[in-house]
Amino acid sequence: MDVVQHALLFVLQWQNLAALAGGTLCGILVGVLPGLGPSAGMALALPLVIKWHPATALIFLGALYKCSNYGGSITAILVNTPGDASNAATLLDGYPMCQQGRGGVALGLSATSAMVGGTIGMICLIVAAPPLAEFALKFGPAEYFLTALLALSIIAAVVQGATIKGLISAGLGLLLSTVGFDVITGQLRYTFDWAPLEDGIPLIQALVGLFAVTQAFVLAQSNESISRIARLSGGFWEGVLTYFRHPAAIVRASTIGLLVGVLPAVGQSSAGLLAWAEAKRSSRHPEKFGHGSTEGVLASETATNACMPGDLVCTIALGIPGSLGAAIFLGVMIIFGVAPGPLVFTEKADIIYALFVALVLTSFLLFVIGMLFARRLAVITLLPNEVIVPMILVVSLLGSFAIRNEMADVLISLAFGALGYVMLKGGFTPIPLLLGLVLGEMVETNYHRALMISGGSYTIFYDSIISKVLIALTVLSLAGPYLGPFWKTLTQGEK
Amino acid sequence: MWCKIALLFVFSAFYLLANPLPEESREFPQLLAVMSFALAAIALVLDFTRGEAPQGEILDVDDTELKVQDAGRRRLRRKRYCQSWVIVLVSTGVGYLVGFLFTSLCLLLGFALVLGRKEKRVFNAIVAVATTGVVYLAFVVVMKVPLVGGLAW
Repeated sequence: MDVVQHALLFVLQWQNLAALAGGTLCGILVGVLPGLGPSAGMALALPLVIKWHPATALIFLGALYKCSNYGGSITAILVNTPGDASNAATLLDGYPMCQQGRGGVALGLSATSAMVGGTIGMICLIVAAPPLAEFALKFGPAEYFLTALLALSIIAAVVQGATIKGLISAGLGLLLSTVGFDVITGQLRYTFDWAPLEDGIPLIQALVGLFAVTQAFVLAQSNESISRIARLSGGFWEGVLTYFRHPAAIVRASTIGLLVGVLPAVGQSSAGLLAWAEAKRSSRHPEKFGHGSTEGVLASETATNACMPGDLVCTIALGIPGSLGAAIFLGVMIIFGVAPGPLVFTEKADIIYALFVALVLTSFLLFVIGMLFARRLAVITLLPNEVIVPMILVVSLLGSFAIRNEMADVLISLAFGALGYVMLKGGFTPIPLLLGLVLGEMVETNYHRALMISGGSYTIFYDSIISKVLIALTVLSLAGPYLGPFWKTLTQGEK
Repeated sequence: MWCKIALLFVFSAFYLLANPLPEESREFPQLLAVMSFALAAIALVLDFTRGEAPQGEILDVDDTELKVQDAGRRRLRRKRYCQSWVIVLVSTGVGYLVGFLFTSLCLLLGFALVLGRKEKRVFNAIVAVATTGVVYLAFVVVMKVPLVGGLAW
């Protein structure tokens, strides 16, 4: 308790408050630009903070990392373009709400989710970091492989509405993730001797193409506006009040976010989608999901924001980053002499707890910024498409280009834009494909690792209790959409 | 249906292109390709075997005008879609030659002049140039991202 008090007093010094505010604003700005993301934002900000006090620098970068998710949710809601893969779940209901003229409500839900989910996640992190890290250690390569399969099967079954199409989309995503160097043998696969593909299909560029470019071409076909009604109804505060009417959903989504975040490499994209799927399953009105359901936005955003503290558990306590952003943050910690590991909570307690307290305060600052700007931002949905479309294209393709300064990345984004459009016309949703791309390397690496450990025996995939539970959940998630109507028929037949 | 047929070819290509690779490298992608091919084939079979629901016909209503309007709207949307792609591809080509900054300018001007409303063309063109200026200041001057450079320099 003393440590937390000291940390609070430290954070309230003017230079640390300024770093916190600066990191929050930069994070939102970075998140709003599709393709930039927290990792690029931290990399760009590093030269600025290198000479600062380590705690102040980590507060700035931690706030930037945390708030970029909120920035990404703004574009996901307003223009159907996620700022990062972690915002993909928010598209499902956030954008339809916008089309119904309720963009302000969606932004209010998002800001409140960022505040509540982030605060719950950080408090759990402060209290339970060591036992959570121990739980993460029980997962071996086989368990990680099965966790990724579970995430893919749940998303494929629930998001698409037709399990087979969702699985096909996920399968295509996994196949595309095999492009480039094979992580086990170093062999080049499917690159056709084109150098930009040697490191694999770059995730950000694919994300920009699948969502931003596709959305731009969809909007370009008409000269209307995003909002299909020419006015905005509801506002930020309606979103805030609506949020607190679903306490059970808040607890569920926070728990899912925290648990998923603790598992390295599974990541925020999975957390949001899994929470959305669970919210749909347990809702009284599942038919509203995907058509502007407030519970959908609440679940995905709360889980994504609760996930980031869980992500930090493994990064700080074990030195295992859960995402690219966490990997950059880990590098920054090492640069400032804060070596990760279990001892960091005692040897560098002042810095670590200052960071935790700062991240709790960031949640509230996010809410205030959202409150001030939500209505103004929602006006974007009333602008004509001839203004919005080129802006989306310029900003998103710029994000693609700026990562490696290569025009080839713009071509990759355009190719994925064409793929996304064809998928849309074919009745496929790109979200399982994106998740397949994100998790593909993890799936393949852990598949091979597990087989190496077991000497080629497949029993390793169902040896442990955790594996058995994961397999059962995967089977249930795939069979569930078909068992539900069958069960209804049986019970109605009995009546 | 055509999308699923195309996917069958895509998954077959992934399988066949992996053949020259060593066994450890091709095992995983070929397994995925086979499973995805099977799923796509099942989906295609389900599409063929699903019976069409009988639709009632109302013979005494002339819907020619609706069909013409609908077809007209579809043609206009397709035209705008193709124009968008032309603008994007030309802008990307310009970017390869002289840098991404000029891609931004071409994109903004292209959409303003080709797809924008006639009465707002001048205003949209001014906004396009101003936005390019903001992009230059923010990314080239402040963030040092090299947006000017290409084959022509």
